[in-house]
Amino acid sequence: MTDGDRPVGDPEPGRSAPAVDRGTLLGPRLIAIGLLALGILVLLDALRVGRGTGFRPIGPGFMPTIVAVGLIVLAVALVLRTTFRPDTDLAEHVAAEAAATSWPTVGLVAVALVGYALVLGPLGYILATTILVPVAARILGSRQTIRDVVVGLGMSAAVWLVFTEFLGVRLPAGLLAPLV
Amino acid sequence: MDAIGSLLGGFATALRPEYLAFAAVGVTLGTLVGVLPGIGPALTVALLLPLTYTLDPIAAFIMFAGIYYGGMYGGSTTSILLNTPGESASVITALEGFKMAMRGRGGAALATAAVGSFVAGTISTLAITFLAPLIATVAITFQPADYFALMVLAFVSVTALVGRSLLRGMISLFLGLFIGLIGIDRVSGQARFTYGIPQLLDGLDIVVVAVGLFAVGEALYVASRSRHDRQQIVAVEGSIWMTRDELRRSWRPWLRGAGLGFPLGALPAGGAEIPTFLSYALEKRLSKHREEFGKGAIEGVAGPEAANNAAFSGVLVPLLTLGIPTSATAAILLAAFQVYNLQPGPLLFQNSPDLVWALIASLYIGNVMLLLLNLPLVRIWVKLLEVPRPLLYASILVFATLGVYSVSNSLIDVLVMYLIGAIGFVMRRYDFPVGPTILGVILGPLMEKQFRDAVSINEGSLSVFVTRPLSLTLLVIAVLALLLPYAPRFVRRLRGQRGGERLVFGSGSED
Repeated sequence: MTDGDRPVGDPEPGRSAPAVDRGTLLGPRLIAIGLLALGILVLLDALRVGRGTGFRPIGPGFMPTIVAVGLIVLAVALVLRTTFRPDTDLAEHVAAEAAATSWPTVGLVAVALVGYALVLGPLGYILATTILVPVAARILGSRQTIRDVVVGLGMSAAVWLVFTEFLGVRLPAGLLAPLV
Repeated sequence: MDAIGSLLGGFATALRPEYLAFAAVGVTLGTLVGVLPGIGPALTVALLLPLTYTLDPIAAFIMFAGIYYGGMYGGSTTSILLNTPGESASVITALEGFKMAMRGRGGAALATAAVGSFVAGTISTLAITFLAPLIATVAITFQPADYFALMVLAFVSVTALVGRSLLRGMISLFLGLFIGLIGIDRVSGQARFTYGIPQLLDGLDIVVVAVGLFAVGEALYVASRSRHDRQQIVAVEGSIWMTRDELRRSWRPWLRGAGLGFPLGALPAGGAEIPTFLSYALEKRLSKHREEFGKGAIEGVAGPEAANNAAFSGVLVPLLTLGIPTSATAAILLAAFQVYNLQPGPLLFQNSPDLVWALIASLYIGNVMLLLLNLPLVRIWVKLLEVPRPLLYASILVFATLGVYSVSNSLIDVLVMYLIGAIGFVMRRYDFPVGPTILGVILGPLMEKQFRDAVSINEGSLSVFVTRPLSLTLLVIAVLALLLPYAPRFVRRLRGQRGGERLVFGSGSED
């Protein structure tokens, strides 16, 4: 979703600024540097893989080399488009996003997710999910915790039943192992 | 008339009660997930992919066809009533459909979308029935060089024609190509980019990548904007049907939309977005009610929605007959085939005719089921729009985790999926299209294989790509497609003027 998700009646932010503020494109610039690093890493590995295999002329290193060169060229192009000849279209998009983004929310959701993955085994599927749903919903702005707990419990119990009984998929039982 | 006999055989399979039940489950699940706000067909298919792993192939694909079509039908409901298109092929539907809903004609918009989808879907399925075996026959003569050229064309059309920036599209594509390289090289047995991690030897499971990129990426993106975005559901008043006048204004756009959508979808040319935009422009030009466009013209819903549906069916032609996906959703479907060790392509029609024809027959059946499911029952689906967003996205995270965990039972895979989700979030935030990534992951390894085969058949010379007329033609078309968006600017330069816009055929998001 890029265009369609602007709320109705929201004035298009960023439209008013004709000149691109250099700070706006910091994010894409960091992405460009990351891509450049990835490209170089891929190139090194590609050259290593390509050496000394009997598969000529197109060995296992050929495609990785192309991908690496592509990544490096594209990363350099992105550096140019975010510094010397800034992409105004992207800058507008980024400025609009910056106004709307709540980093704490993203960060908290990410932490909740990793926590969920880690307790999935020890606590078991049903308990972990019953905890995650209200926690994640709360982070995303829900204020009806009791409803969310009920939904989490109902959903995880239903999933447990369908997956373990009908689809033959094993899910971790965890603390509830004696019961289920 | 071979096709008719085979199709009847397919119906004999698909109409068996257990397969009918799978079709019904598929269309219901597809509609159910597709109607949820912000969820398009690609995400629907990715989330539901793991569910089919335990089924036999025919049941799985019948269910899948239902999910695929159902996700599409569901998407139009969200666009019309909520103005949140789940994918860019529905952007146009939202444009006119939401305005209609605001004017109190939401019921008519839903009806013309549903019937239009049915008409277009049925016409396209007929076209698939007769065209696919034909193309499969021709495609048997294709050589690796031709496949390589076709895949390059598919990459170019998805990356260059769709999306707001060629550069960002290409970056997305190359990121996907890199992810696709991870694992053991099938030809030489060399491990590539595994860095000594044994789990990476088999490569990244496509479910991990698709669910991470689409589901978790989207959920994180919505999370980042949750304090900012508000939503407004327009209640449906009156009956879900068209007036005589609205019906009269709808049927021609349905047919024209289907006529535009199917061929453009069937060509490896960028999926469903271009035909919907073309259909909209065409209907606007032909309409006697041009002044209504932008304010809720029914032709602007009927035509593009039919084109959208027809294009989605058209995409199945290159997918089934050549094994080449031309959209992110089709790429995930291809991954589903690979799970069953089936390689779509010309040989699929020879080796697994039961499966192919049951699948095609189930497309007809699914379309009928969806019409029944969407016209009388649409009020039930509308209720789903009222699911609170926080709970909805919390659930998406739960099901994304479940999907990946149930495939591999591995904590590592779940964490990798979250990491890819973070990448998907960054891509959304900085307006990188995610479609090319998924296409690169799935099509990249196939392309590498065809390339190497082509060169080894030709005794190590690269000349095969220019000496085979078909390969050369396809590669030239790919180059032209790459340059096409810049054509207006180039023409203006020739005339001695400066500036000029870059052609854009859609926003390039398909999630």
